[in-house]
Amino acid sequence: MSAATHDSSRVWRGQIWTIAKNEVRRNLFSRRSFAVYLLVAMPLALMVLRALFMPSGMRANSTHAVTEFAEVFHIFFLRFVIFFANAMIFVRLFRGEILERSLHYTLLAPIRRDILVAGKYVGGVLSAVLILLPTTLLTYLLVYLPHGAGGLEIMMSGSSLGHLVKYLFIVVLACFAYGSFFMLAGLFFKNPMVPAVLFLGWEILTPFLPALLKALSFVHYLVSFAPVPVSLGAFALLARPVSWWVAVLALLLSSAVLVFLASLVARRLEVTYSVD
Amino acid sequence: MSSDRIIFRDVSKFYGEVLGVNRVNLEVAPGLTGLVGPNGSGKSTLMHLMTGLLRPSRGSISVLGIPPDRPEELFRLVGYCTQYDSFPNGSTGISFLRQTLALHGQSKVEADENSWAALERVGLTDAAERRIAGYSKGMRQRIKLAHAHCHGPRVLVLDEPLNGLDPMGRAEMIDLFTEFAREGRHVIVSSHILHEVDLISDGVIMIHGGAIVAEGEIREVRGEITSHPIQVLIRCDRPHAVASRIFELEHVVEARVLEDNGLLVRTRNADDFFTQLNRIVLDTGVIVETVAPADESVHAVYDYLIGETAGGGTT
Repeated sequence: MSAATHDSSRVWRGQIWTIAKNEVRRNLFSRRSFAVYLLVAMPLALMVLRALFMPSGMRANSTHAVTEFAEVFHIFFLRFVIFFANAMIFVRLFRGEILERSLHYTLLAPIRRDILVAGKYVGGVLSAVLILLPTTLLTYLLVYLPHGAGGLEIMMSGSSLGHLVKYLFIVVLACFAYGSFFMLAGLFFKNPMVPAVLFLGWEILTPFLPALLKALSFVHYLVSFAPVPVSLGAFALLARPVSWWVAVLALLLSSAVLVFLASLVARRLEVTYSVD
Repeated sequence: MSSDRIIFRDVSKFYGEVLGVNRVNLEVAPGLTGLVGPNGSGKSTLMHLMTGLLRPSRGSISVLGIPPDRPEELFRLVGYCTQYDSFPNGSTGISFLRQTLALHGQSKVEADENSWAALERVGLTDAAERRIAGYSKGMRQRIKLAHAHCHGPRVLVLDEPLNGLDPMGRAEMIDLFTEFAREGRHVIVSSHILHEVDLISDGVIMIHGGAIVAEGEIREVRGEITSHPIQVLIRCDRPHAVASRIFELEHVVEARVLEDNGLLVRTRNADDFFTQLNRIVLDTGVIVETVAPADESVHAVYDYLIGETAGGGTT
């Protein structure tokens, strides 16, 4: 590798990291993060309410906690909280700066547009993971702890901790996958919430679609890691489960393709705030 | 290819069906260049095209040999102070500049030093730690200027940089621009305040309706406007004596004696006029105080080329 190539790769790695740090700061500590915190507080609030008003018979039966968490995770957390948290974080990576009319400062820096996209994506993934992993962990605790000593014992058992690791892995993969989709949507659409809602509809309908169409959704691959399967109703169509490496590959490859498409859109990006 | 010019070749920009600029051909040399035109004439579009914030619908642009679609090279050489009066939320003056320089690949120490130096140059060190959201219009203008030049660019593109500044601030900034130009940089300044452009510019680009109507040094541009005879103001002790001789010259179309020993002459051939004026002065023995072109200014040229059709928008 020549010295010049090495030097330029050092520069763009530094730029990616600088942009990513900025995005993390904005997503975690600015006013715009309030809506995301409100969203992720919902499952926690629900779990606190559940703990407060849990019937004593149910409280004593700690074996239910495993399926309870699985249901909360599949139906509420994955298809609603993770989805919209990623939508809020990633759509605003570019659209937020356009609405704030400050995107030109970033575009006036000596950064290749694809490096800019990569930096923002890394920042978005880090922000989403930093918000959603603790939320998952807290929700997990709030499901088990109201069951008392029995719940604690199950929670700390090897198999439950193994489940937790798998759930956390799903959250990280979901951030990569949904993040890439929403970043592209934020670059491409003036109102990205319309495609977001359509995409949510698609993701929710996935269990009821034939196998070929299931393959075109993220949630199909994400649930393949779920340690505890959840029944989604009588109309759900069963499909052959995807092996873990196919699922990881499919999610990461599709994320890479979407990030690449975002970089193509970014290359043609113009600053015309008056029409945006 | 390395070059010291900013070059536009047959550049057009359309916003849908609306024309931004049309078939622009330009070559801008180092120095201070004024970009002048009424509101909506295409000044900002031209600057956005130069810096890659807009892409041309056709034609090509090169800034010191670099096309604007290579930001990683372009913005090592170019700084742009836009007209947008918005900033990243929550930024202070110093954090805004540090952030910018971090993206330039500067280390923390280096970015810090250069940020303070840029703030000092625009007179904002006292307000460095304050949030930009609380800055006055003039301070925001200064921080944008600091942002444009903090990395030491060879080309400074400044869109209405004097807007919102008080008279003292304007004078300081004008000094700063001339200093940049003296250092051998390109400084391209758009303004609708013509006498300021006149004061500072080596050359001028006049744009109207998205088309370049004139480009070059003011004197050259003025010389090419044959429809309006050139005006020369002479101050001497006996203007009537000079006027009577001047009337005999074929290319002189008007000679008007003014108060305070002034004589305003309009001629179609300035070179011949100045040669013959020397002879008249020697023959009549008048004592000449000053001889100066009366309409070799941006204002006059603007009036001749644009003002009559545009009907305002500049002062």
